[in-house]
Amino acid sequence: MKSISAMPPCQAACPIHTDVRGYVSAISKGEIENAIKIIRQVNPFPAVCGRICTRACESACRRAQVDEPIAIASLKRFAADQTKDLKIIPKPGTYYDERIAVIGGGPCGLTAAHDLTLLGYKVTVFEANKGLGGMLTRGIPEYRLPKSVVKEDIDFILSIGVEAVTGMSLGRDFTIEGLLKEYQAVFLALGSERSVFPKCKGIELPGIITAVEFLKQIGQGGRPHLGESVVIVGGGHTAIDAARTCLRLGSSDVTVVYRRTLKEMPASKTEVEEAEHEGVKIIYLTSPVQFLGGGKVEKVRCVKMKPAGKDLSRRSKLMPVENSEFEIKADAVILAIGYNPKTDRIKDVELISGKSGTIVVKDETGITNIKGVFAGGDVVSGPVSVIHAIASGKKAADSIHRYLRNLPSKEVEDPMVLSPLDEKIANLVLKAVRQKMPALSVEERIKSFNEVNLGYSREQAITEAQRCLNCGSGAVISDECVACFNCVMVCPYGVPVAGEEKAKIDISQCQACGICAAECPASAIDVRIETKEESRKKLEGAIKAAKEKSPGGFKIEFFCQYEESLMPVGDKTGKHVIGKPCMARVDVSQLIRPFEEGSIAVEIDKCGFHNECRFKGCEKWIEKHIESARKILEKSGIGADKLRMVCKE
Amino acid sequence: MIVAEIKPFEEIKDLLKNYKNILVVGCGTCMAVCMSGGKRQVELLASALRLSKKAEGQEVSVAEKTIGRQCEPKFVDQIKDGASKYEVILSMGCGAGVQEIAERLKNIPVLPAMNTSFIGASDGEGNFLEMCAACGDCILPLTGGICPVARCPKGLLNGPCGGTKNGKCEVSQDIPCAWVLIYERMKELGRLDDLKKEIGAKKWSKNQRPGKYSVKEEEKEPASIK
Repeated sequence: MKSISAMPPCQAACPIHTDVRGYVSAISKGEIENAIKIIRQVNPFPAVCGRICTRACESACRRAQVDEPIAIASLKRFAADQTKDLKIIPKPGTYYDERIAVIGGGPCGLTAAHDLTLLGYKVTVFEANKGLGGMLTRGIPEYRLPKSVVKEDIDFILSIGVEAVTGMSLGRDFTIEGLLKEYQAVFLALGSERSVFPKCKGIELPGIITAVEFLKQIGQGGRPHLGESVVIVGGGHTAIDAARTCLRLGSSDVTVVYRRTLKEMPASKTEVEEAEHEGVKIIYLTSPVQFLGGGKVEKVRCVKMKPAGKDLSRRSKLMPVENSEFEIKADAVILAIGYNPKTDRIKDVELISGKSGTIVVKDETGITNIKGVFAGGDVVSGPVSVIHAIASGKKAADSIHRYLRNLPSKEVEDPMVLSPLDEKIANLVLKAVRQKMPALSVEERIKSFNEVNLGYSREQAITEAQRCLNCGSGAVISDECVACFNCVMVCPYGVPVAGEEKAKIDISQCQACGICAAECPASAIDVRIETKEESRKKLEGAIKAAKEKSPGGFKIEFFCQYEESLMPVGDKTGKHVIGKPCMARVDVSQLIRPFEEGSIAVEIDKCGFHNECRFKGCEKWIEKHIESARKILEKSGIGADKLRMVCKE
Repeated sequence: MIVAEIKPFEEIKDLLKNYKNILVVGCGTCMAVCMSGGKRQVELLASALRLSKKAEGQEVSVAEKTIGRQCEPKFVDQIKDGASKYEVILSMGCGAGVQEIAERLKNIPVLPAMNTSFIGASDGEGNFLEMCAACGDCILPLTGGICPVARCPKGLLNGPCGGTKNGKCEVSQDIPCAWVLIYERMKELGRLDDLKKEIGAKKWSKNQRPGKYSVKEEEKEPASIK
């Protein structure tokens, strides 16, 4: 595909700018290996992100203007799950002598290690705990992110040559100064796991635990029963994870107390919905003021909160509502109100630290006040989502590479983004419902820690991927335009317009059906989703293969690849076939070209478009092309009947 | 713009029956716009020629090239050097294009693939209508911008003949009577009175063939002034 200047909104919204359109398009054609390769170009955690990503891409997806956004994360999960046994091990192009130490084996540290290894460095990851993964394995429960899944991604990272040493703790087993003698750069990705405690009376009572401590215990296989009634304080992913975990451990009365409203909740809406579906109660605009009990916690005294001013933004101040105190029964309390980094163990060097123990860095490059020492991830930002940790690891890897190679710093520019769909065009796009993720029933869920979401089937994944609007892969007009404005007449969406000198096609609105390209008398229009050159190569390649396989006479068949990708794998054997993004793209010259090379017949597989096609009115154009091609075949003596429409159903 | 249509395939085949090495040349201006002889039509005609020879069991080589404008010598020069490789050139330009190529290439036969039809305009739906007869003495100011010379089959200058019926021409129901159109337009313009004035005899001497036009000396580029 030709390079483009404006990014699709999904790619722009992704903190690591994953080529979402690229891999979703690959899945839509049934090319799952290609999809995972595209994902892996930037993301070493596809199986993890496919499950727990905060999905900024989906919030930006333009399909939402038509019906619902593409289930991008679920498609990523599908690609990762389907290819987990595939061993595609990338190798660095160059090797350097420098060694790099990464402290912290969470998503940020491992991503930096992954990228630096592929850049050609020798990287060692030091992890204080017994296992790698950081909060992915210690903080997120099994039903949302199974450990086996995290292991798949980590195993891949280790397979490219990342060395990892576990059970080695900074400050206890080694120092930064010591590392700097052996390593030319040190990256601190220490995470942020120290729980913040609310300033309430009774906080010391037994029965009050931190969510990190609790989830860690579960992660290690512990199955404590905390009692019938559990109160969780907080509104992030961890609070919801802890609450849903309590249900699975047999507690029947689980309440989350959050001081703001659902709108400001850091936990995702889907998670909140799922938790409520399973039976978790959530009380908004409420804060604990005191923990009560004799010998152990028995009750939580809470107060209702209200915004202090008119400003209702996420960080607006709150104040208690007078005389609104009430009590909730609690056999146990889990605190999940926030986490700070544990940087007090760094004693040998004087790193500048910020509030709450974070490390202060110059900017996104992660450069600290000490030469050769970089920092990133939660230890810099405080707790954020996994994709932000990955992004931070990637930026640090790039910056360490520039530091070691003495390269100038990278100019970071905000990408240009395709504008939203015009309402008129959004209304013309055929509606198609988002595929529902198969999941365990509530009864099955709360009995076990089995993964709740089961993943798409192949058919579901391809169907979902085919909903993608392929934003920005539409038509481009070259200087050869003769301003006949035929494109203006034929476009089913009304996108091309007459410009001052030539026709103009707004790439942000074009739906990439390719009808204008097939009809342009000057051949001045190309479509990025499959360029003329790609199309020509595909056809010539198929003819060449057909000639070799069947020297006695061959047939060429065109089919709609959107339809074909849903057929069972291997169905193509023995046919000389050419898949097209839309059959309307098969222009007259492509239909007659095979005859020049000796084809005895050309067939158009009608099955692909006899149902309502994703592209408006394409059937009319396919029929028109066939009719024109037949006329040429007739008058040139080949015979019109050699070109036919078939349906194999 | 010039509007042309492609000749019947049998006729083109017959023109080329003695040649085995052909260059089809398209024209990227009027011929592309009227969808008769642009890059895509060149591709299709070349393909059809190869197929028909193949069907007859004969060998033929048909190359394709589309230039910006066949009536412009500088564009024609772009194919001049390579043209000697071919026995014949099949031009998909208008009559002017065919002649311009023939003029520049002299020793290679240049044959027309098109029948040049008229000077016309698009109706925006893929149809083209004759609008101008290139008579050399424009009377459009007197007829509300509608030309009776080009659009009336008889070229009448002072009102319709007796063959007009329900606004249509007696020649064909598909042809609107030019003088009815002129009447309606003048009415819209509030100029019906002007139609009472007689349009005098046209200076047909201006329509003398071959037409010739030279850019005035003061408007020529300095380099071309001798």
